[in-house]
Amino acid sequence: MTTVNLQLEQIKERTAESMEEMWVNMGPQHPSTHGVLRLLLKLDGEVIRECIPYLGYMHRCHEKIGENRAYVQIIPYTDRLDYLASMYNNWAYCLACERLMGIPVPERAEYLRVIIGELQRIASHLIWLGTFGLDLGNFTIFMWCFREREMVLDLFEAVSGQRLNYSFMRIGGLALDVPEGWLADVKAFLEWFKPRLPEYDRLSTDQIIWQKRIQGVGILKPEDAISYACSGPVLRGSGFHWDLRRDDPYSIYDRFDFDIPVGESGDVWDRFWVRRREMEESVKIVEQALKEIPPGPVLSPVAKKLRAPVGDIYSRVETPRGELGFYIVADGSERPYRYKVRAPTFVNLSALPVMLPGYFIADCVAVLGSIDIVLGEVDR
Amino acid sequence: MALNFGRWTSGGESVTAEEILQQIQGRFGDEIRTAEVRREEACLTIRADRNYEICRFIKEELGYDYLNCLSGVDWPADNEMEVVYAISSLKQPGKIMLRVRLPRDEPVLGSVVPLWGTANWHEREAFDLFGIRFENHPDLRRILLSEDWIGHPLQKDYQDERFVPYPWDDRKPGGVARPTTA
Repeated sequence: MTTVNLQLEQIKERTAESMEEMWVNMGPQHPSTHGVLRLLLKLDGEVIRECIPYLGYMHRCHEKIGENRAYVQIIPYTDRLDYLASMYNNWAYCLACERLMGIPVPERAEYLRVIIGELQRIASHLIWLGTFGLDLGNFTIFMWCFREREMVLDLFEAVSGQRLNYSFMRIGGLALDVPEGWLADVKAFLEWFKPRLPEYDRLSTDQIIWQKRIQGVGILKPEDAISYACSGPVLRGSGFHWDLRRDDPYSIYDRFDFDIPVGESGDVWDRFWVRRREMEESVKIVEQALKEIPPGPVLSPVAKKLRAPVGDIYSRVETPRGELGFYIVADGSERPYRYKVRAPTFVNLSALPVMLPGYFIADCVAVLGSIDIVLGEVDR
Repeated sequence: MALNFGRWTSGGESVTAEEILQQIQGRFGDEIRTAEVRREEACLTIRADRNYEICRFIKEELGYDYLNCLSGVDWPADNEMEVVYAISSLKQPGKIMLRVRLPRDEPVLGSVVPLWGTANWHEREAFDLFGIRFENHPDLRRILLSEDWIGHPLQKDYQDERFVPYPWDDRKPGGVARPTTA
């Protein structure tokens, strides 16, 4: 045996000894966990073998607070669940209460809810695209996305006076009608926004670095997606043609014509591409709603003391992140007896341990980013 | 490999909630305590000892393979705990609400994690906040609260001197909660 070969043998032996699997802690103070999430990763060299998430750093027992508040008083708390899509949380909660109590919603309020909800979806996907770009080291797209998101926030500030936690929806409609000229502003925003999407593509979709980073990474198989009850873009990225706006229609979504983008292989790229195309579909829905919106009141006459009949309901809607469900048990009083939030990212995050194994530690940030977690909702 | 299930309302025969109930009752007649149809959902209350078999029947033979939500409810007035499964499917319409009542002093239930991966975290949450123990769960630990927490906050009689909710005053118009001054 030559000297070189002998050295090689020795190196192999030594690495076999030292290349034991090791546990590495990621977070909770990690910039790419989008909040305070702790992941325990078992590494074999650079390859992830196992992942254990630890949650609860922002837990405030939202559900216990809900049991001690009147139905109307819970609305501001729902803002704080998914603080990047507060309007949609308000809507989901109010819809659950309306279904439980049998309260109708005026036509104009339904249209405004759809317009606001889809603008919120655009804003939420924009912040996702921006921070996901940041995770991958693309800083420019972060600034560009926040530029357009700021415009949506300005529109919401005009209707509600708030920039993030709106509390704008009410059980039975909306708190206020929109100010004069607001609908024209929305139209102007859409005209500005549509040509921006190809610009984002130049920074993301068409970029070879972007493609190489996320294609074929973090694959979620269809059977896992069903077993882990994933929803939203994570489910659609795995090939399921499923959207509650169409398949379990609520509000007036059955009146609009829109497509449901679907991925093929369930990798990070598919989840990115589903969200990117959903922004176009949201624009289509808002444009249709702007054409048809009727005048009229925006709030049904609702009793000051709202009491729900004895019973329970599981009501679900399609938020930007997936299926947000509210399970409410009513005992006939002014407060819910039990109030449970089925948070979409809590459930989607539970599939992370099956997405990560086998990929490099450098991909971990991309896979985690592609779930689009919001810890306010995961930890509740 | 796009699956593209398409819209279930446009093709195929839709199963009504009554038919779902009949099928489950035909198979597990003795295990069902109550069965009714509410809001086009099949609502069932079952006995605790065979919940795994009934869930497996619903998943594998009826094809409702999507567990939306698993929630605990505390009923101290009946001295019982309840676990509610909300089950649906992406391939067919219909929803099932499956309820299991457990004795409150010994809330133990079979885990459904082998059927649905999503039940893992939901059951850990029910264990954490309600103290319901799930047998054969692979990793039954607290999930939202810290490991050393004492008690289960969503039980109705849970008391913690650090976190006292404002008492509820029914007499005040609008039902506004207000702080105590004691």
